Amino acid sequence: MTLKTFNRGVHPHDHKARSANLPTEDVPLPETLLIPVSQHLGKPATPVKSRGDEVMPGELLCDADGFVSAKVHSPVYGKVKRIVQQPLPGGRMSDYLEITVNVEETQTHRWERREVDFSALDRTAVVEGIQNAGIVGMGGATFPTHVKFSPPPTAEVDTLVIDGVECEPYLTCDHRLMLERTAHLIDAIRILHRGFGFKRILFGIESNKPDAIEAVTAAAAAVEEPSVEVVPLKVKYPQGAEKMLIYAACGRTVPAGKLPLEVGVVVANVFTLAAIGDWFFFGKPLIDRVITVSGDGIAEAKNLRAPIGTPFADLAAACGGIAETVTKVVAGGPMMGVALPTLDYSLTKGSSGLLFLTEAEVPDESPCIRCGRCVDVCPMNLTPLKLAAYAKAEMFAEAKRHNLNDCFECGSCAYNCPAKIQLVAWIRYAKNYVRVHKI
Amino acid sequence: MSAGTDGFVLTSSPHTTATDTVQRIMFAVVITLLPAVVMSVFYFGLRVLALYVIAIVASLLTESLCKLARGRSPWSIADGSAVVTAILLVMVLPPSISPVAVIVGSVVAIFLGKEVFGGIGANVFNPALVGRAFLSAAYPVQITTWSVPNRVFGFLPQGIDAQTQATPLAAARFEGIREELPNLVFGQIGGSIGETGALFILIGGVALLALKLIRWEMVVSLLGTVVALTGLFHLVDPGTYASPVFHLFSGGLMLGAFYMATDMVSTPYTRSGNLIFGFGAGLLVVVIRLFGGFPEGVMYAILLMNAVTPIINRYTDNRVFGAAPAGSKGATQ
Repeated sequence: MTLKTFNRGVHPHDHKARSANLPTEDVPLPETLLIPVSQHLGKPATPVKSRGDEVMPGELLCDADGFVSAKVHSPVYGKVKRIVQQPLPGGRMSDYLEITVNVEETQTHRWERREVDFSALDRTAVVEGIQNAGIVGMGGATFPTHVKFSPPPTAEVDTLVIDGVECEPYLTCDHRLMLERTAHLIDAIRILHRGFGFKRILFGIESNKPDAIEAVTAAAAAVEEPSVEVVPLKVKYPQGAEKMLIYAACGRTVPAGKLPLEVGVVVANVFTLAAIGDWFFFGKPLIDRVITVSGDGIAEAKNLRAPIGTPFADLAAACGGIAETVTKVVAGGPMMGVALPTLDYSLTKGSSGLLFLTEAEVPDESPCIRCGRCVDVCPMNLTPLKLAAYAKAEMFAEAKRHNLNDCFECGSCAYNCPAKIQLVAWIRYAKNYVRVHKI
Repeated sequence: MSAGTDGFVLTSSPHTTATDTVQRIMFAVVITLLPAVVMSVFYFGLRVLALYVIAIVASLLTESLCKLARGRSPWSIADGSAVVTAILLVMVLPPSISPVAVIVGSVVAIFLGKEVFGGIGANVFNPALVGRAFLSAAYPVQITTWSVPNRVFGFLPQGIDAQTQATPLAAARFEGIREELPNLVFGQIGGSIGETGALFILIGGVALLALKLIRWEMVVSLLGTVVALTGLFHLVDPGTYASPVFHLFSGGLMLGAFYMATDMVSTPYTRSGNLIFGFGAGLLVVVIRLFGGFPEGVMYAILLMNAVTPIINRYTDNRVFGAAPAGSKGATQ
């Protein structure tokens, strides 16, 4: 049987074997949490707690500032020590709430399962719940989920696509989630289905996770309503990208420059789904997540469940510490993640990976030989070599005319470039210039 | 930059890359050329081996001197592209060519063919063919003087070259004598140093295809066009026009299709562009071979198509995923 997939893309070494079979572990509770107010796309949330305030698990720390923003809740019992300014991975500055954790009290806290009255659930209740739980897209984009699930009245949403692809190398937390909380994921789908009455629900999983495909298929078969189709996908990067996944799973093409709603589809990552379930079945907002810590420079690779705000140094310590040979630390996956200058960052809602890489060399760029390998792999069918050349020549208007803004920086081009040209960096530079100067 | 000292490498994503480099690509091209190169030494003697060495040294020196003159690092020669150019240049020259001509050709290929444009990646024309074209004008007699190859394969029939002192293409064109196919396939014929052994070029070319270092679109389109068009003429008038199989295995077509028209720098980077380039080059080869003043036309066909490559790229640019169908208002424009 030929597996479904999208066109073009690359096949990077997946490096997943080291952590794929390791059950999720809880990180030892940190003594301090550093929780940024800006963990999502959109306006930063506004702190509602100030220095000295006592907080408890699930209590609101920051309220959403407008519709395209997300609430932030406390994962622990503790006290707001202070509010500090620090950079986020990627360089933007954000306010952080520094929380001194009351470890003992927090350890006794349990989230009890509650009965859900499905008959009372309508679309408004579902979307409000998602909004109140502070849920954002946990596949990495961190777009507030309630916005995604608020289509304009004109849009007809008939299909839900669940992203269980996890196409970034090294990362295995989505894989573990699908194995460990399979029934919970299906329950969360039932919640969404109550609100939207989807005609089709497709669950995309790459074929390198046969156990997850099997588990989700079995769990889906165990419930009568709704019917969830598991779609095994050919292994290829960047299949987790919304437009690629929609094309692969249901053959629909999202128009360039438009959102999936345009073709009646909403996509949700499996962790986003789990967070939705956590809110409805446990009353637990998005206050923790699982992150894969891996790479040759860490003693033990792990899939760690940690409270939002856990310092990266604590994650590294929980994995036996980092090796002398570490040259690069990456927040996220190796294809789209951000290199960090230090470990002074903390876990956010979008943190899917923390990688300690030891490959010392940063390859030198050599001149473009116009081989077209970047053109061959661009999932958006762009011409990266030309976009980069325009960026170098500061011909930004020309770059924009060649669909610069359709690039979502998956990195397939730069991955495949034999001249090792930093195509993504050049394209990002042009995109920023075009945005700032309103070209 | 040890652990914990806060000084990790900061670069843009992606943080991993495929293993291929420009150097590895060039190295692979050289390796795949070896069967044809080795056979050329068997056919035309150790003299030819010396010519390869002379061309490589001259090319490398020319590139480093150009780089030094521009205040750049001379070690760009490590990418191996000058070696590829040098080998290809010798392959398209006659066996009796003088070492001086080889040096002149190498200097011109690298200097005028590549470095004046800014080095690798910036050149418009195939450097080796620029060198060959220059020598055609500078050494008109040498460049058309053909030698009889050694009899390497005893089972092959006696070739026509012993009596005509001409390449099979010239003999077919001007004297109406057709070389026998086995001689063409094994290259036991008169012709350029590395062009005659069609079979051995094919071996390397198929390896390049298998390694995905060249694009099948180019090879299939170019060879397919030549076969189709010469086949058409052959059907109409087999007396005047040789068979498509004859054309396929004679002259520089095989080397041109697998190694010259697939030069990444001077040919289109889009796949549809490769199809167009291949068709155009094939058409020109047939026109020159059947109706032009020369018996062979691969060199000029490819050089002419090199010139129109930028415009092919422009008009074969990929349409962005999700773009509105042509004719309607684009979604992102």
